[in-house]
Amino acid sequence: MVGVRMVGEEHVSMIPVAPSNVWRASVNGRSQEILAPSNSILLDVLRDRVGCLGVKRGCDMGTCGCCAVLVDGEPRLSCLTMAKECEGSQIISVEGLSNGAHLAPIQQCFAECGGSQCGFCTPGFLISSQALLDKNQNPTDAEIATAIEGNLCRCTGYQQIIQSIQAAAAIHRGDNSLAKPASDAHSDPHPVGPN
Amino acid sequence: MTDGYVQQPGSSTDVRVDGKRIAGKMSFNPPGSGGSRPEMAERDLDFIPEVEGGKEAQPAGHHQHDKYRTGTTVGKRTPLVDGNAKVTGQAWYGDDVRLANEIIGRIVRSPHHYARIKSIDTSKAEALPGVLAVSTGEDAPQRFGVLPVTKDEHAMAVEKVRHVGDLVACVAAIDEATAREAAALIEVEYEVLDAVHDPKKGLLDVDDPIHWRGKYHIGSTNVQKRVFQEFGDRSKLEQARATHHGKWKFMGVNHGFTEPHAVVAHWDPNGRLQLYTPQQVPHYAHRALATVLDVPMHQVNVIRTFVGGGFGGKSDPFPHEMCAAILARKAGRPVRITFDREEVFWVNRGRHPSHIEVQMFADDDARISGFEIDALIDGGGFASFGHVTSYYNGVLATAPYELGSFHYTGARVWTNKPASGAMRGHGAVNTRCAIEVGMDDLAEQLQVDPIDLRLANLLPPHSKTITGFRITSNGMRQALERVREGSQWDKKFRKLPLGKGIGIGCGFFISGSGLPIHWDPNKFPHATVHIQIDMDGGVTVHTGAADIGQGSTTAIAQVVAEVLALPLEMIHVRSHESDTSPVDLGSYSSRVTFMNANAAISAALEIREKLLDAASEILEMPAKYLVLNDRRIYSKRDPAIGMSYLQALHKSQEDKGALIASGAYRTPPMGGVHKGAAAGLAPAYSFSAYVAEVEVDVDTGLIKCTDVWAAHDCGKALNPLAVEGQIIGSCHMGLGQVLSEQMVYGRTGHLQNPNLLDYKIPSVHEMPNVTPIIIESCDPEGPFGAKEAGEGPLLPILPAVVNAVYDAIGIRINDLPLTPDKVWAAIAKKMKREDIADSQDLPVPRIDFSELQAKIAKRSTEHNDRDGRRQRSEDTDPYINGVLFGFDPSIPPEEQDGEWKISVRPDSEQLESLGLAGSAWTKIEQRKMGGGE
Repeated sequence: MVGVRMVGEEHVSMIPVAPSNVWRASVNGRSQEILAPSNSILLDVLRDRVGCLGVKRGCDMGTCGCCAVLVDGEPRLSCLTMAKECEGSQIISVEGLSNGAHLAPIQQCFAECGGSQCGFCTPGFLISSQALLDKNQNPTDAEIATAIEGNLCRCTGYQQIIQSIQAAAAIHRGDNSLAKPASDAHSDPHPVGPN
Repeated sequence: MTDGYVQQPGSSTDVRVDGKRIAGKMSFNPPGSGGSRPEMAERDLDFIPEVEGGKEAQPAGHHQHDKYRTGTTVGKRTPLVDGNAKVTGQAWYGDDVRLANEIIGRIVRSPHHYARIKSIDTSKAEALPGVLAVSTGEDAPQRFGVLPVTKDEHAMAVEKVRHVGDLVACVAAIDEATAREAAALIEVEYEVLDAVHDPKKGLLDVDDPIHWRGKYHIGSTNVQKRVFQEFGDRSKLEQARATHHGKWKFMGVNHGFTEPHAVVAHWDPNGRLQLYTPQQVPHYAHRALATVLDVPMHQVNVIRTFVGGGFGGKSDPFPHEMCAAILARKAGRPVRITFDREEVFWVNRGRHPSHIEVQMFADDDARISGFEIDALIDGGGFASFGHVTSYYNGVLATAPYELGSFHYTGARVWTNKPASGAMRGHGAVNTRCAIEVGMDDLAEQLQVDPIDLRLANLLPPHSKTITGFRITSNGMRQALERVREGSQWDKKFRKLPLGKGIGIGCGFFISGSGLPIHWDPNKFPHATVHIQIDMDGGVTVHTGAADIGQGSTTAIAQVVAEVLALPLEMIHVRSHESDTSPVDLGSYSSRVTFMNANAAISAALEIREKLLDAASEILEMPAKYLVLNDRRIYSKRDPAIGMSYLQALHKSQEDKGALIASGAYRTPPMGGVHKGAAAGLAPAYSFSAYVAEVEVDVDTGLIKCTDVWAAHDCGKALNPLAVEGQIIGSCHMGLGQVLSEQMVYGRTGHLQNPNLLDYKIPSVHEMPNVTPIIIESCDPEGPFGAKEAGEGPLLPILPAVVNAVYDAIGIRINDLPLTPDKVWAAIAKKMKREDIADSQDLPVPRIDFSELQAKIAKRSTEHNDRDGRRQRSEDTDPYINGVLFGFDPSIPPEEQDGEWKISVRPDSEQLESLGLAGSAWTKIEQRKMGGGE
């Protein structure tokens, strides 16, 4: 749409024009068919077209990790990923981590162990840690650090994030001792919920 | 008895042994008593103070709020009440506000450091299809600024641009690409002016100062604010046994919050502005918007979105907020403006780049006979909070040590850079680093342990600093002792091998600013909280406190839950909208917990009283015999005699409807009368002490901080989970400043690293293992004894690391950040100077204690007793800084023996001896030269 208009003789359009194509992928378990320019960035498609506003834009250049999503199970920075690359993929964003109204262990533990303060980096951290826990349910602190090294957090100093991930790993292993809720303020909001 | 419901013991009969009917005897937890648990919880004695019959130890004494503790939530590790929204991606930050028909705004920014705008041609942009509004500075001539005394900002540049990235114009279009294209089509003709980049040059007279303050302008310089303070007796400094002289350079640092600024503006059909913005201080934005847009404040509704990190960087009213509102008004549609990361750096408001010189003196008794501080701070293009920062750089160094004298000269200059402003630890961080390193050096010269030197020179609780700040609770001594013990300091200090080091640093910070920025009307409260309870029993709390991730919403919910003995899930805090929230001054100066929680407690107490009155009426029993616990009100003697919270609530709602109460907080009158006495005044102060352990690679200069023991006196940890999060997070941010973060301005004055790749925020790999230690000194005026924990914990980490580096390699580097190149250059210089061939042969500092060590250890033991008595209010004599030097607190300073002085202007003979920033006093204000029209 943009750039086809010339204004003045010397004006050169800033953004190359690309024809819109239908983009198909599964986002959080629902198949999406979206008409988007073929040079679209995955982050833009997810936020502006699919409506996944939980995918955060922090820097647009792959430095902060806030925009991470799982693409076929692998954590990817959606701001550095062309939507085209993910045609036909299974994409999971933070909105897709929970099981219906029930929080995933990683979400529950981030909320309970101080892993989230302002919360803006949290979706990215959740994705990176979920990718780790999918492969390794008994990670060392060093393995966790490696898994989240692409995510910047300015609030927590990472220590409570690592504790949150360890607590979630324990739930995945079936060991509930680490994940004892600190209070019932954050018990599952729907204990006998819709799902 | 019904299924799933357990009758309380003792309630099986409705008749007392004497045959009298027991009023209010009822089934205990009827369905609908609120909350999700059917049974009443036992009173949690572990979280009820000893004085109230619980088991919570009170080493620092009792508190006025102790009698309202119910063991519900205060002191317990409490997850954030908005945590679920954050972990599910449902928290809505600035850019997540999507309104129907929204259009996208873009800002046109200056490419020049300093230039006069000759003309702006917007015609091409306006002609571009899809463009709905274009605006320039002419549309908003009103000036604004966060401080009323220094309103020097415009929505968009009028006449001049003052730094690269300064706003010149803005456009709104149907989508971002069109908006960007339109922005590029705006043609601006500039006349480039001579820019000032070096703050030292900002002290000189120039032809065209960056701002002109009329008759108050200082010469024709770029000095925005100058401060002179002289307190105490400086006549004995020459006889000092040890003298430290440190000349420091601090690079500017940015907050680095993860959420870039974003704003959505919408004029509703009634012509009211609805402005969504991630603001720390919505109220000041509200005021500025009303001024700039020329509408009454009640026609503006500021809606604070979730804030993706603030740290001071989202506390000014911002020009782009005005731009969005102007564009939305012109276009008649909602406008969203979202910054990219580079724009965040152009807005900046980060910590001031500073040149700080400190001279410190210790006498024969190892007393601190004087601090002389000179701070030149680089304000960038606008004043922002700079007026206050200029004071904070000096006055927040006046504690925790008892000083014989204090002399401060400070100046803030405008330069053609993005504006500096408030950042976590506002104004105090850099000077604190310099003086704590100075304390280390004094200890080295006196041959004493630096922790003992500090312990022997602390101001006691309930005292006054040399500049008249009223210190109430003071946990400095415990903090020092706990980190000494935790880190095994005595086994490590000056005993570690080359390349390994340990260092100490202390901190002191305000817990809320004593004066609000907008002080008119004079008796306006700092914080107001409304509580409203409807029939269902859910408690709605209205506050304007801005939760920026620090957990203020949680803290307010906690104190209300605690007073009313209700589960946290029944408390709903509404704090997003100025339409529904009482005025609150916002999240800055670490004021929210202290002031808002106090206001919330006073509102909750009013509700509590009404509930107790109702219960007392039903039970025919005086309210003093009743106790609140977990949705119930019952007799202290017999829990069976009582009622549910709902029953009491409904009784007190008879003929009234909702139960409503309002509470407010205002600081007590305090402080001196000298000019600037209000800067740094606070109702309470936090104290902290950190020990850091580092490893320095002597071949590369790379520093790795491995362990930190971080003790912070927050008065009372309402929520230890959040306090620990603040301590660890502060360590992270401070470590960034000391090791890697800097805003690099190149030779042309251009910011070279406005992105998170080149601006190096520590990643998880750079983080040390932090052991947070919470000290509870029980502040008499704090909510349940609490003080701040958000900013103070940042201060000690910088000097602790710098001191640890000295312990590791024997070199003090006074130029932050300590990047490997600087460290290696310092190592190489030392090797050359001392003719050392191999860096592994560098000498490591060792210590032989002098005779003073025993003397100060004795003094600190005596002071320990003194402080304990004062903390527990067994000793209530006035104590003003200087008692250690023979000052008599019962007579005024001017009548003291010796040359005790209070002065806020230099004498003419002093002018020549002033330091770099002090030289600003050699210039004369325009009004005194008859100029300045």
